[in-house]
Amino acid sequence: MLWTLIRREILSNLMTFRFFVAVIACLSLVLASTIVLTNDYARRLARYNADVIKHRQSNFSAETYSYFTPELDKPPNPLSIFNQGLEKHAASRVQILRGEVPYLWKSHRNADYDNPFQRLLTELDIVSIFQILLSLLALVFAYDAIAGEREAGTLRLMLANSVSRGLILFSKYIGAMVCLLLPFLLSFLFALVFQRLSGVTHYTLDDFVRIGGIFVTSLVYVSTFYLIGLLISSATRYTATSLICSIFVWIVFTFIYPNVSLFMVNRLVDIEEKLEQANREIDQIWEQFYREVEKRRDPLEGAGCSRWHGGTNDSRNCSYIPSEFASEIPAAKAYYQFLAPFRIRTGEKIWSVRKQVFVETYTRKYAVARNTLRFSPTGLYQLTTEAWAGTGLFRAEDFFTQARQYRQTVLDYLYDKKAFGSRLWFASDRGKVSWDDMPRFSYRPPSVLDDASRALSDLLILFILNPLLFMITFTVFSREEV
Amino acid sequence: MLWHIMKRELFEQMSSLRFAFAMFLTVFLMVVNALCHIDDYKRQQAEYARAVSEYLVKLEQNSTNLYKLVLNGPGELHKKPSLLSFCAHGSENNLPKFASGKRAGWGRSPVIDEEPYNVSGIWRLKYGGFPPVKATDIFPTFLKIDWILIISNVLSFLALVLTFDAISGEVAHGTLRLTLSNSVARRTVLTAKFLSSFISLGTVFISGVLVNLLLLHLSGTLQLNAQEWNRIGGIFVVGLVYISVFIALGIFISTLVSNASTSLVILLLIWVIWVILVPSMLGTIMGGLNRPSVRGDPNPAYFIRDGLLDRYKARGLDTEAPTRTYPPTPATLLWAEFLSEEAREGAKLNKTYLNAQTHQIQIAREFNRISPTAIAQYAIESLAGTGFQRHLNFLKNAERYADEFNNFLISADRADPDSPHIPFVREGMSDKPVSFKSIPKFQDRVRLAEAFKGALLDLTLLLLFFTVLFAGAHVSFQRKEI
Repeated sequence: MLWTLIRREILSNLMTFRFFVAVIACLSLVLASTIVLTNDYARRLARYNADVIKHRQSNFSAETYSYFTPELDKPPNPLSIFNQGLEKHAASRVQILRGEVPYLWKSHRNADYDNPFQRLLTELDIVSIFQILLSLLALVFAYDAIAGEREAGTLRLMLANSVSRGLILFSKYIGAMVCLLLPFLLSFLFALVFQRLSGVTHYTLDDFVRIGGIFVTSLVYVSTFYLIGLLISSATRYTATSLICSIFVWIVFTFIYPNVSLFMVNRLVDIEEKLEQANREIDQIWEQFYREVEKRRDPLEGAGCSRWHGGTNDSRNCSYIPSEFASEIPAAKAYYQFLAPFRIRTGEKIWSVRKQVFVETYTRKYAVARNTLRFSPTGLYQLTTEAWAGTGLFRAEDFFTQARQYRQTVLDYLYDKKAFGSRLWFASDRGKVSWDDMPRFSYRPPSVLDDASRALSDLLILFILNPLLFMITFTVFSREEV
Repeated sequence: MLWHIMKRELFEQMSSLRFAFAMFLTVFLMVVNALCHIDDYKRQQAEYARAVSEYLVKLEQNSTNLYKLVLNGPGELHKKPSLLSFCAHGSENNLPKFASGKRAGWGRSPVIDEEPYNVSGIWRLKYGGFPPVKATDIFPTFLKIDWILIISNVLSFLALVLTFDAISGEVAHGTLRLTLSNSVARRTVLTAKFLSSFISLGTVFISGVLVNLLLLHLSGTLQLNAQEWNRIGGIFVVGLVYISVFIALGIFISTLVSNASTSLVILLLIWVIWVILVPSMLGTIMGGLNRPSVRGDPNPAYFIRDGLLDRYKARGLDTEAPTRTYPPTPATLLWAEFLSEEAREGAKLNKTYLNAQTHQIQIAREFNRISPTAIAQYAIESLAGTGFQRHLNFLKNAERYADEFNNFLISADRADPDSPHIPFVREGMSDKPVSFKSIPKFQDRVRLAEAFKGALLDLTLLLLFFTVLFAGAHVSFQRKEI
């Protein structure tokens, strides 16, 4: 019986005009977006590769220990084609300095475009298209599922047979989902095939698991909207009313709520005061630092060495030491033996202040924004796919966490080599530093399990909505007079 | 008769649920917009005032010596923020806030007669200054709620919701046949339906606008002059024409199909593609295909590469230094010619680069004009004095000022009887202080004529869309069997 009902639903859906439109719209839009974003990814990848080659050379060309301030690069994420997230906002490069622990919030994004005016043009990723189009299609398929049959009188006919109401609902659901799956699956595969043919993206097995995650999430998302539509359809008498209610729900969930709520969070969660307070504290730490530094005389002042000097860094390279300064060498060694570790300690002290305040400000604000978004299925979909794709805040921060680890490795290396008190710290006149045994940095994306654990909680909420909605629909439908 | 039908339609519409919903949604968004603008306005004005006073201070510092002005130029010329930014934010966050008239950025010291002769390039206009993408911008605020968003997305959507059953609904009910059995022309029915929808949606729009303006007025942020009121009037007209396009579209589709629900489904799909997806994708694709042919910002040392320097060297540039004698030596004249030509060529190169960049965006905008949403957006932006077109106008203002400034330099030099009057070489110009009052100051302003000229083409296009759709509705209604 169930099979007969499902077959009828599928057939009646497949032959409609809306199915045809769904296929065409989905395919063309997803393909267009894939073309745009694949090209964009290719450009960012090329830039990254050039940067890596440049930095591999420049990072290890430092002649003294103190000039070692390597720049680290983060590769672009190919999954940003699916969900851009913060990929083009968060920094993809960081420089390791001894007096500063690297952190995300200070960083600037390097130019992503040859033409900065291009930032005026928007780029929709695949998930945004699904988010708008699939939810609308789901509602368009659902609005007349019950109300339409009731209007036409076929519902009464059907129920005259020995068919339970639950079975009818279930067959409607399966039938429509199969028909919604087709355009969605087709466009998803098209997008993957296009990327494969373009030869730009190289997905690992992990990436395919992530893409699978995005796929499953999209399915759950479509199903949620279909069930919302089904609920409205069984609760209303006429198809016209059902349709109007559905699309108002749609515009509120997909447009109005996410935008207005984020807008409000941005306005209402005030973080400036705490940040200013932390800045004052940091200024005091710097003041202390400079007071201590000024007590000491720089023995190599006026020796004509090249120097890059600032609060967070002090690099010096004397390729030639004049004879009158030869006697100052032990003093210089002692000077740096004190100054370099002191600068490192100051940097770490500042970091402990910053770490605390970031948790209370940016991280909290972000968490509030995420929690507000969770009240809309669209928000949940956006967050879950962002976690799968690894374009969210966590991944952006992960790069900086690894940069901090690498900084620690560098410092350990310098301590091991007793570099601060050595002549090679500031002078290259008797030979340059060899960097052969210095560990190299390369960004390791977190394992797919990490991303999955971030995605699963939101996916679970989205998923639980489904049986819940189905149950409510069933209750409404079984109490309804036909 | 027309009035009679219209009255009936109006009553029916205004008492419907969708009208109430439309009114609530629009007014709510307008309130959100006003509340957010109050903060933004203060910040913008304070920032601009600070920037302008900094500019004046720098200019005064440079006025101690005429040649200092020649070298350093007028400084950063700031774009005046529009008072109407609540109507259209115009992606101002992604556009430069100033054009810089600063040093050329190169200096040379050729050795002449065993003495190094220091010379640097004179000032010119540069168009960079794009704000960096900061990590603190990563809070998702992807849509700003301004009038454009409310008009182009929300009101167009509401227009479709109000009109989708204009004809098809009455056909289904059989009331249309009844109406037409009286001595009523079909065009009268259609016009009445159009006018009633137009009036009811216009009421929604005008209520939103009034609430918005009232809130802004009460908060004291709305200090507009007659010219700005004119521009608000212009924006209002564009909004009304844009709404009529969608009302005509709704009626047109409604006459084509016999079922109200089918008509809404079709309209919704058209809306999603035409309003949401096309403006954000088509232009981006076409713009991506037309990358600027000139790449990379012009290097200040381009003149070495381009052979300009070699040409002058061949004429004996580096063999003799300019002197402060009168009549001028050939060397002084040659240096003056070199510096003038270098400045001219440098400015030309900057301009070429800017043109290549803006050309790409122009192409994208031309293609986006397939969608009336993009058209309305461009028209409203140019009326509100924000966005891309306004930025180009600002740059034109800056160029005009640059000429004025250079003319001033020459005339100030003429006024000094001790100067040899050979611009722009140091030895050929006055080295006396300049009266700060006499220096022309940069004042950015939006010209009403420019704003309206920019919007005129777009308004015409919108009217064209409307005419075509309304004519289509007429034709299909005349041929319709009822």
